[in-house]
Amino acid sequence: MTRILAAASAAFLFTLSPALADDHGEHAHDDHAHGEHDMQPADMALNEDISAALAAGGSLVTAEVNGMVCDFCAMAMTRTFGRRDEVAAIHVDLDTKVLQLVIREGESMTDEVIRDLVTRSGYETTAIRRGMAD
Amino acid sequence: MLKHILAGVGLLACTATADARPVSYEGGWTAIGETDRASSALWVHYTPHYEWSLGGRVEWMRDRDLVFTGAQATHLVHRRFRPDSQGNLYAFAGAGVAEGIDGNPRDAEAAGFVGVMADWETRRWFVSWEARLADFGEGGEAMQAARVGWAPYEGDFGDLHTWFMLEVDQRPQRDEPVTVTPLVRFFKGPVLLELGYTPADDEPFASFIYRF
Repeated sequence: MTRILAAASAAFLFTLSPALADDHGEHAHDDHAHGEHDMQPADMALNEDISAALAAGGSLVTAEVNGMVCDFCAMAMTRTFGRRDEVAAIHVDLDTKVLQLVIREGESMTDEVIRDLVTRSGYETTAIRRGMAD
Repeated sequence: MLKHILAGVGLLACTATADARPVSYEGGWTAIGETDRASSALWVHYTPHYEWSLGGRVEWMRDRDLVFTGAQATHLVHRRFRPDSQGNLYAFAGAGVAEGIDGNPRDAEAAGFVGVMADWETRRWFVSWEARLADFGEGGEAMQAARVGWAPYEGDFGDLHTWFMLEVDQRPQRDEPVTVTPLVRFFKGPVLLELGYTPADDEPFASFIYRF
């Protein structure tokens, strides 16, 4: 029986393979990039979706988050923020422990709301910056 | 010494390995399946608040043909953040009924368990410990398990993450009270899969977690 369950687990993973390829958040444009490990947020290149959302008139918010060490952590963030209509794009970088959001043109999201949503995701915000780094 | 401590607590029955991430983000669902040398279990939970999860659990104690069906609540007692690490302390409890299956004629009886779990991890290292006491209507048993893991590389969000782990578990009531289980963990997006083997009991180990 245990062998059957083990095989079922493997089959389960296989059936999820399409979801694995896409599931980084509820926004289809959510994505990730591979930053250098010692890269500072200010130096971080913007990924394609973030860049596209900014080009559409959105504003960039960068939050530094403690405790993000795995995909479940990142996914918690993308799914929590992905439910918000004012969020146009989301990007989580585990290397720099940074959450990037693009807020749609004409919309806003206060620091208090961002901190609350990070908390509801199970994590802790240490800093929030707005706009592009100098 | 450890055996005496466990016995002194009045130990009841239990299974389960360290369940990774027993509490999710608010509004998140998690499905967990696991089979180890003693039991096989399915568990689905919902996180209404980031410090709590509530769900249903079915667990089959294979050597006794006994099945537990009930509800489980898990509380995140404390989470310690650092920029590059995270530590968690959880307490959990479950209540339901346990009844015999196959050749076991035992009727359904009230059953339950309590336990604690702690873990600490970075993107390279993982350690955890879990202990559980349970009463499935057949006297007391207990278990505890400790695990250490190492990731050979640091993947980013969405990459395939690979971990090599070693779990040591103690179940005083079994013929082999202490066993070691080497296992490998694959982790990608919402899915975590673990495969291993317990040589002392000649039993495979497998678990999966799907978060949605």
